[in-house]
Amino acid sequence: MHAIQAVNISKSFGSVRVLDDVNLTVAGGEFYGLFGPNGAGKTTLLRVLTGQLAPDSGSATTAGVPHTDPIRLKQRVGIVPEAETPPTFLTAQETLELTCRLRGLENMGERVEHWIKFFDLDEKRDVLCRDLSKGQRQKVMLAAAFIHEPELLLLDEPFINLDPIYQRRLREYLQGLASEGRTVFMCTHILEIAERLCDNVAFIHRGRIVEQGRLSEVSHGESLEDVFLRAVEGHQVA
Amino acid sequence: MLSLRLLHAMMKEEWRLHQSLVGPMGSALFPATIFLFTSFLALVAPRVLSHMPTATILLMLHVASVLYGLFVGSFGAIGEHVMTGRLGQVSMIMQMPQTYPVSFRRMMAVFYAKDSLFYLLYSYVPLTLGLAVAAPGAGVSLGGVAMLGLTTFLSFMMGMGLSFTLSAVSVRSRPLWLLLNAAVAGVAALVYPLGLLPPEQIILPLAYWTERSMWTLGASSVTAVVLASAGVALMKERYESRESRSGFSFLDAESLFGFTGGLSTLVAKEWAEVRRAGALAPVIMSFAGHLLAIYGMSWVFEAGVGVSLSFNVVFYSGFVGFMGVMTYSFLTNLEHNEYLNVQPVSVDMVVKAKLVLYFILTAGVSAAYVVGIGLLKGQLSLVPLGLLLAGATSVYVVGVTSYLTGLWTNTMFFDARVILKFCAFVVPPMIVTEIAALMMPMRAGLATPVVVAVSAVLLLASAPLLRRMERRWAAVPFSFVNAGG
Repeated sequence: MHAIQAVNISKSFGSVRVLDDVNLTVAGGEFYGLFGPNGAGKTTLLRVLTGQLAPDSGSATTAGVPHTDPIRLKQRVGIVPEAETPPTFLTAQETLELTCRLRGLENMGERVEHWIKFFDLDEKRDVLCRDLSKGQRQKVMLAAAFIHEPELLLLDEPFINLDPIYQRRLREYLQGLASEGRTVFMCTHILEIAERLCDNVAFIHRGRIVEQGRLSEVSHGESLEDVFLRAVEGHQVA
Repeated sequence: MLSLRLLHAMMKEEWRLHQSLVGPMGSALFPATIFLFTSFLALVAPRVLSHMPTATILLMLHVASVLYGLFVGSFGAIGEHVMTGRLGQVSMIMQMPQTYPVSFRRMMAVFYAKDSLFYLLYSYVPLTLGLAVAAPGAGVSLGGVAMLGLTTFLSFMMGMGLSFTLSAVSVRSRPLWLLLNAAVAGVAALVYPLGLLPPEQIILPLAYWTERSMWTLGASSVTAVVLASAGVALMKERYESRESRSGFSFLDAESLFGFTGGLSTLVAKEWAEVRRAGALAPVIMSFAGHLLAIYGMSWVFEAGVGVSLSFNVVFYSGFVGFMGVMTYSFLTNLEHNEYLNVQPVSVDMVVKAKLVLYFILTAGVSAAYVVGIGLLKGQLSLVPLGLLLAGATSVYVVGVTSYLTGLWTNTMFFDARVILKFCAFVVPPMIVTEIAALMMPMRAGLATPVVVAVSAVLLLASAPLLRRMERRWAAVPFSFVNAGG
């Protein structure tokens, strides 16, 4: 079964065509990386795949749910958006409690404690999110995406604002998920980390998928950075 | 030179932000609507307000402009949010002092100039042109209309300058802010109700119409500039980050609102926002304030027509729901809700939670208002009818507002199409119920069934609105402005 299937997705904002006939398939259990330069359409594609944005044409099915049923879709997956925007007037702990309630989760106390400890947010648990640092807010967003242990995670720059300790901790956690057979779909510019994690990759440029496949087949022994430059700019890097 | 460039950039930013929120058509229709509305009012005013002295009409226009300015100018307090990075994803030119060698005071001065220019072009120019259309019929010269446009705009600028200064003070010292507010209220009391000062000594542009002296315009301009400059000078250049903790927990609030059933989680979130944003007292006070303002409106009508219409408790009850629009709008401004984009929640669910909280916060005030007027006027027998009408208009008008504007009431009311739909939904039942209320002393046998019937219709009409809320808003993202990339 496909974890994600996007067929002929197009999306424009005004006169700007941000996604142009995008086709993408992610199999269950894959660690999939989507890469592209700024403004290439990564975030828009992720928003379409997660039901946050309706495409102008085409269809997407994520975790077995069509994009036209966003509530059920969001119930099934974990999403980390591009910007770290937890609720302004809730504390870190309350944000996780709210998430548990909205998702109808049992064992709320245990789940919240686990993720508070995982991200070392104990001292900040009672601080309003508006007063947390960007890194702390990102930790809250990550914890909220993981708290219901979804089969499929869609992550937009998950490592942003994290210090090396938590980048490593997150990387190991995601690797663990993949080894359990869960699916991770990730957009990131941190190619060194992506290279270690991803089985399959796609490169998007000006709204079109310009190259995709297994990382080992696409790279031909090159680094992911070289593959990125070649795919996006058409440059053969020596 | 830098300030002029910043002003130009901010004007473009404001225009584009406006267009992105309500679309080019809605943006262009707003001043057109003001023009048409003012033209209509100006054309009918000589007949409707035939018993009202010109001096009273001028006073009302200038007081309204001052109040408009006071409402607009409270942005002095946003400095803290800008400078401590609490605007979330919003990125505006005003945030430049965080990273560029430009002072925050300079930026606020430019921001002030931009807002003045924006309101001049977007409100006062179309308003003056609307008055000009009716000028020949009313026997007023075009020069007189131009001067009226100028003096009302100067009144607006004085109100805006005062509000800006007070809000800048509020960030520095709460006691001083309270003291200054008390002083302003004291000076206003000297004019009304004490009558110890003529209003034109406080609202200086009004003095032009009694003295016909250009000096009064000069003095008004200087006062507006001084007030604005004081606000800029009082802006803090640096803000310290802080860590806020709360005295109550989200789960406590959820238990408190357990009676709201499946909405209790979202209502608790709304409650936390209202309490922690320090908005509880302003929400309730502004609602009560608007209700009290109805006394002012009824006075204007009575004085304008020149006939005592003996407004009764049902008449006042009919306005309760209509005053709730501002309160609902206030509730929608506290949080951007972008977090909910990635949770299994849709906009209509949050709208419903806000409606529940709105009724919880205002029901007591509404009931007290109706019962209070019933007691004051010795009309306790009419109180049940008043409560029915107040309840029905509250449910209906706020239902219409939330259906049309969702979580973006303040923004979408700048879209002329939305305003026109709102008026089409809301004004006809308001007119019918208010006329019926006024007829009550003469023809109670007819008026009472009309009020009951309209109340029932409003309640029945509210049900499909709430049902269709999901279809209207379920597919809309919480972040209103789309961004590609």
